[in-house]
Amino acid sequence: MAGSALKRLMAEYKQLTMNPPEGIIAGPVNEENFFEWEALIMGPEGTCFEGGVFPARLTFPPDYPLSPPKMKFTCELFHPNIYPDGRVCISILHAPGDDPMGYETSAERWSPVQSVEKILLSVVSMLAEPNDESAANVDAAKTWREDRSKFNEVAERTVRKTLGL
Amino acid sequence: MPVVLLERIPLPSLKTYTAFCVALLASALFYAHRVVTSLESDSDPSNSATGREQVLPSDSYTWNMLFVVTTEAWCVWTLVNTAYCCLILLGKLIQKLVFGDLRVSEQQHLKDKFWNFLFYKFIFIFGVMNVQTMEEVVMWVAWFTVLGFFHLLTQLSKDRFEYLSFSPSTPRFIHVKLLSLLMVILLSCCGLMALCVYIGLQAGITIFAFMAAECMLLALRAFYVAVRYAIHLIDMNLEGIWENRSIYVYFTELTFELAVLSVDFAHHLHMLLWGNIFLSMASLVICMQLRYLFYEFQRRIKRHKNYRRVVKNMEARFPIATQEEIKKNCDDCAICWEKMESARRLPCGHLFHNSCLRSWLEQDTSCPTCRTTLSDRPPEDSTRNVPDGRGGDADVNLQQQNNPNAQTTNHFFHFDGSRYVSWLPSFSVEVTHTQLLPRTRQSVQQTSQLDNMARQVLQVFPHMPLNLVLDDLRETRSVEFTIENILEGRLQAPLPGSLMSRNGLLSEESDEETQQVTSLSTGNAVISALASPAESQQNFTDESQSELRRDDGPAQFSSRFSKSATERETMLQERKNSMLEQARRRYLTNQSASGSSNIDTRAMGSELVASSETWQFTNDPNSSSNETQTSSSEYQRHCRELAFQAAQKRIHEQRNT
Repeated sequence: MAGSALKRLMAEYKQLTMNPPEGIIAGPVNEENFFEWEALIMGPEGTCFEGGVFPARLTFPPDYPLSPPKMKFTCELFHPNIYPDGRVCISILHAPGDDPMGYETSAERWSPVQSVEKILLSVVSMLAEPNDESAANVDAAKTWREDRSKFNEVAERTVRKTLGL
Repeated sequence: MPVVLLERIPLPSLKTYTAFCVALLASALFYAHRVVTSLESDSDPSNSATGREQVLPSDSYTWNMLFVVTTEAWCVWTLVNTAYCCLILLGKLIQKLVFGDLRVSEQQHLKDKFWNFLFYKFIFIFGVMNVQTMEEVVMWVAWFTVLGFFHLLTQLSKDRFEYLSFSPSTPRFIHVKLLSLLMVILLSCCGLMALCVYIGLQAGITIFAFMAAECMLLALRAFYVAVRYAIHLIDMNLEGIWENRSIYVYFTELTFELAVLSVDFAHHLHMLLWGNIFLSMASLVICMQLRYLFYEFQRRIKRHKNYRRVVKNMEARFPIATQEEIKKNCDDCAICWEKMESARRLPCGHLFHNSCLRSWLEQDTSCPTCRTTLSDRPPEDSTRNVPDGRGGDADVNLQQQNNPNAQTTNHFFHFDGSRYVSWLPSFSVEVTHTQLLPRTRQSVQQTSQLDNMARQVLQVFPHMPLNLVLDDLRETRSVEFTIENILEGRLQAPLPGSLMSRNGLLSEESDEETQQVTSLSTGNAVISALASPAESQQNFTDESQSELRRDDGPAQFSSRFSKSATERETMLQERKNSMLEQARRRYLTNQSASGSSNIDTRAMGSELVASSETWQFTNDPNSSSNETQTSSSEYQRHCRELAFQAAQKRIHEQRNT
């Protein structure tokens, strides 16, 4: 299985290097293991995460692209759709079978035509517009809904932290 | 290798152990030497009557030494110990030569395998064989030691192969080393098999069966790894796609797994029946093992049946695309991103490689691109659950059924409780059957799918009425084709004013998941008001638009994809660093710009960044393990903080003056 997955990951890596989408860099952490990537995501403009550069880990299964990769932010990120340990909870990363929140239709779930680029773009849009209906981090969802200024403050701190300032 | 154990259990290190063994062996040899020389000096004609000559079988010194060492009890144990030490050293040597440092998971597997092996073989020797004499114990232990040694090496090779298959750029000599180790294991298996036959001729068929089964298991495992390895190497060195690769992989996996399971099963059954041990702990353990093997076997067969069904279904329903279709499509396979030379066409018009499509259909029953359900059942008669068969709900249902394009069978249940008792609730449930797999995952509902597609079309052409779009989607089964139809004027919007039921579609609220809002006015459309897909779609397009609009971002870094792995790595690192630097610069500029607009702080920001140019992005746990590196980066962080404060202070001062 790993052979076709490897070829596909190689192709994706190539594409992401040749025409990188704005504000996204992704590639294998180490060429020895092509199934472990690191991505850098710029906070979308006009949002409280603007200016930040958020590092994340992508772990691919051996049967990729039949199964989705797992994504985890390696920096602290206070966001309704990101678990406190950094795991990202968006529907595109869920296999058609499992539905942790119990409301997604399979139309928006993982399928092999998705790609790392699409995942990362969805994550950028998730950063821009949190979906507080399916909160992975309940605290963050509550703060987002009720105390937006505090949420922005926390985000601002995160942004500075990721920039190393 | 048992060496790994030494790390966990408070055993002496390998060095100490080896030294101890050598010392022990030396003393044994010394003892033998003393005995032999003393006996030889004694064996002059004057002492010939003592009868001591019987002890020494020959006149040769070496033979005498050997004789003493193998007859004296403690010397024998010393020899056994030395043999183990040699084996451990050999294992260590092979590990150093072939594998280098072991990874954590490899060590873990090795440890598990070792303890498992030890446990089961202990049960075998003392529970099943019921060995009585010391010699037999020693012989069996020796046999299993050799076998276990090869088992562990095979396990290690398997793990390492799986790991190597994760990387595109493994040096050739690593493959050569690993493959030659596998060959050595296989050859040793042949040798062990010969030994089995030899011993079997003397000790009987049962012993032979026991030993041969173990031997065969080992050979099968090693052979499986070797075959998989060969397939992998061929695939990697082949340009383009190897269409039948997955078939080969699948069938080798199937054959080997079934072979291993059946041999193992027979072996265990043999143990249980032969040992006459029905009421002992050993029989319990073996029964458990048998049960496990049986379930594994069953599971494998079930999977294979599913596979066969998928293949059959696929071959029957999805035709092989013609060359014109492939040419017209002029796109790579969306699953593997490789060029398509042959493909299968789904009813929705999407093309995929035969093998890619099959592996996807094994786990899901929808088109990967458009999510159309690909059920293999013809529409069934609707099971009506309407209490008295009255009213329009059933009509909707019938229309759904009669629709020739409907691929799935929808059952629409409506319960109007208020007809019976005033407080009973009313609800309707729509069930879609898609039965491709026995354990079908919940598949896309036909209506919500159509609905999603309609939404996508309406985003592009907001002026189109929903029912028209839905009708066309039923025909084309693809968003792209419908859009094409609209663009080319085959589908025309009626005059404004006849827009209907779009509000129903785009309403963001739905009362219940299962409850479908039925639009009877349009007559032929069942609309579910699931809000979230539209929302995420919206986000997605918004985002990509804003991505396009953003033009003041960092300059595009190298858009070159190097052939060499190390160069790629450094280039990626450079890109990461530059992104971080630019983000930092922009952040500082924005910060100061928000204070005062007429001061040129851009220069200040870049100056600040320049001062910290050497700073590397060290969020990578692999690379930042180095202590000096972290401490230096901490120092740099501190410097940068100071510089940042200084910059802010200067901005304040400038603003005040």
